[in-house]
Amino acid sequence: MSEPLATHDYTSGELDLVLEFLKRTRWELRSLRKVDVWKDRVQIFDVNGDYFEVRGIGYPDADVVPLLKAINTAFDPQAIHEPTNADFKEFFTGRRHAWAEDRVM
Amino acid sequence: MVAAPVASPSLNEATDKDPFNNNCYGTMVDRAYKIVALPVLDVNDFNERIVRGYEEGYGERDLPADLSVARSLIPAGTASLRDFSYIAPEIPEYIPANCTGCMDCVTECPDTAILGKVLGEDEWEAKLQAIPEADREMYRAQWSKTKKYYDGGKKKAGGVGGVFQIIIDPSKCKGCAECVTVCDDDALKMVAKTDEVMVKARKSHRLFKDIGPSNEKYISGNLLIDMMLKEQTHIYTGGAGSCAGCGEGTALRMLCAATGSKHGENWGIIAATGCNTVYTSTYPYNPYMVPWTNSLFENAPTYAIGVRMRWDQMGWKERPLWVIGGDGAMYDIGFQALSRMFASGMNLKVFVLDTQVYSNTGGQASSASFTGQNTKMSVHGSVFGGKQERRKEIAQIAMMHPRTYVAQTTCAHVNHFYKAVLGAMEFDGPAIVCCYTTCQPEHGVADNMAGEQARLAVDTRAFPLLIYDPRAGDTVKTRLSLMGNPNMKGDWFLHPKTNQEVTFIDFARSEGRFAKHFDKDGNPSPTLLYAKQDRLENWRLLQELAGLR
Repeated sequence: MSEPLATHDYTSGELDLVLEFLKRTRWELRSLRKVDVWKDRVQIFDVNGDYFEVRGIGYPDADVVPLLKAINTAFDPQAIHEPTNADFKEFFTGRRHAWAEDRVM
Repeated sequence: MVAAPVASPSLNEATDKDPFNNNCYGTMVDRAYKIVALPVLDVNDFNERIVRGYEEGYGERDLPADLSVARSLIPAGTASLRDFSYIAPEIPEYIPANCTGCMDCVTECPDTAILGKVLGEDEWEAKLQAIPEADREMYRAQWSKTKKYYDGGKKKAGGVGGVFQIIIDPSKCKGCAECVTVCDDDALKMVAKTDEVMVKARKSHRLFKDIGPSNEKYISGNLLIDMMLKEQTHIYTGGAGSCAGCGEGTALRMLCAATGSKHGENWGIIAATGCNTVYTSTYPYNPYMVPWTNSLFENAPTYAIGVRMRWDQMGWKERPLWVIGGDGAMYDIGFQALSRMFASGMNLKVFVLDTQVYSNTGGQASSASFTGQNTKMSVHGSVFGGKQERRKEIAQIAMMHPRTYVAQTTCAHVNHFYKAVLGAMEFDGPAIVCCYTTCQPEHGVADNMAGEQARLAVDTRAFPLLIYDPRAGDTVKTRLSLMGNPNMKGDWFLHPKTNQEVTFIDFARSEGRFAKHFDKDGNPSPTLLYAKQDRLENWRLLQELAGLR
């Protein structure tokens, strides 16, 4: 795997800084495709396979839930913290708003 | 009818606006307009006068309301002349060193915008010498020596390896990134459309067409996925007006490729009104190279019975007729006509583009919509959480008609898809192939996700694969095959990495159409749990019918 395009070191309680990092650097990635959530880091991939890495946060941490929600990840917030035998948990980030989902009859 | 003088240069040649002649007839190599001997349609006049009017932006305003326009007839393949190069900010770029020649990208493109070609190394080298020196090395660098065609080709083609190229047609690509998503080898990436990138793309596409057709010695008849290396399979050209990444576009292309591989351009299509008829006949653009007609939403199978009878009278018994419609046309509005067609026993083939919603008319629920789906007519509100009924299963209904071939498939399962379509054509009687097709705006998924979501639909029992072939035996269980579904004997698929069940809830979680069924903690609603149970019961019924329970 190549090196991440950008990295951020998370420190406990500073989720806002992670979200600010993602907003500031988002333009460097193209359409997001998937996210790999490790025990101690989160990797956010675009369709080209380029990625950002947020270090110091992983699936056991509570703050991973708002982080994954912020990048539109299709995941189960109830199960995200459960241990896994795999190296990481992988989720797609391809969900979008359906056309006219708030349509009023 | 007297043809109007053809303006010079023709739209099928290079013009100031299209200097590399990317928008022209022929997918792998250039070809002339497909002329038909009809007193009511002058192909040259249509393409040069009417298509030109729309390409240059004055069609609707200035073209006279003459007989050509009023009849709404469109010649074959006019979509080839359409230019989409301005609609997306990004385009795929090919990385030859990483390519394995798997052909997934070519197969899954909804727009015939990414093409593959294989040539013997000796003929390739000779043809490269004919290219101006200034462009030769640029173009040479876009070919790859894959294990599949180069090493494999040496063994079967007199010791000469095959060199392989993927090319992007910049005039047809809508930038959906489906090709990049399905590539497992990092051989494609999306890049910004700078002037430099586009000139190279346009020039390379021109050289690709000029270098001639694939050498068929390198195309294995046993590898169905290689069929799109042949010109005769490109019956559905680029230039259709479907959304970026449209799952239906890929399905129609693959259907046309499979049918074209066996019958060339000697077959026809009767289309039921829906998205498919809109984006394949957005005047004056038609992507089909075969006869195509549309009457109404509800009568395509009936219409096809009439055409079949006439074709048979004309001695065209061997020419397949495909009846194409969405779930709205086949599950709902045209269901009676479909059932009648099955009962006729006639040699007609039906292809259903199942988006589980009336995509074209604004997203109303159909009887194919999943329970809980948020649609117009089943809006998710405080009392009802989306559609409350269960999904109707056209495959099971069709199986209970006398001697009818039935298949349910997706474009993400390429071999299954092609086997289903080829099996339907080989079957001497009525057949239906129902294909899961992702609809990005109605499903609420990204443009590049058609294949991923179709695969997930199968993995989560939302849409099981099946083939029911009446020739396969005397009992239902011998006729019905569930091959291709994961964990065929179990309830749910178990994820190989986590060993956890992958259920309909996981599918719903990945699509915007079900988003309102999850609370802030991610818990699914009772309606969605009911939908999960519905999908499980449907799967168990299929297992029972197939003798797996």
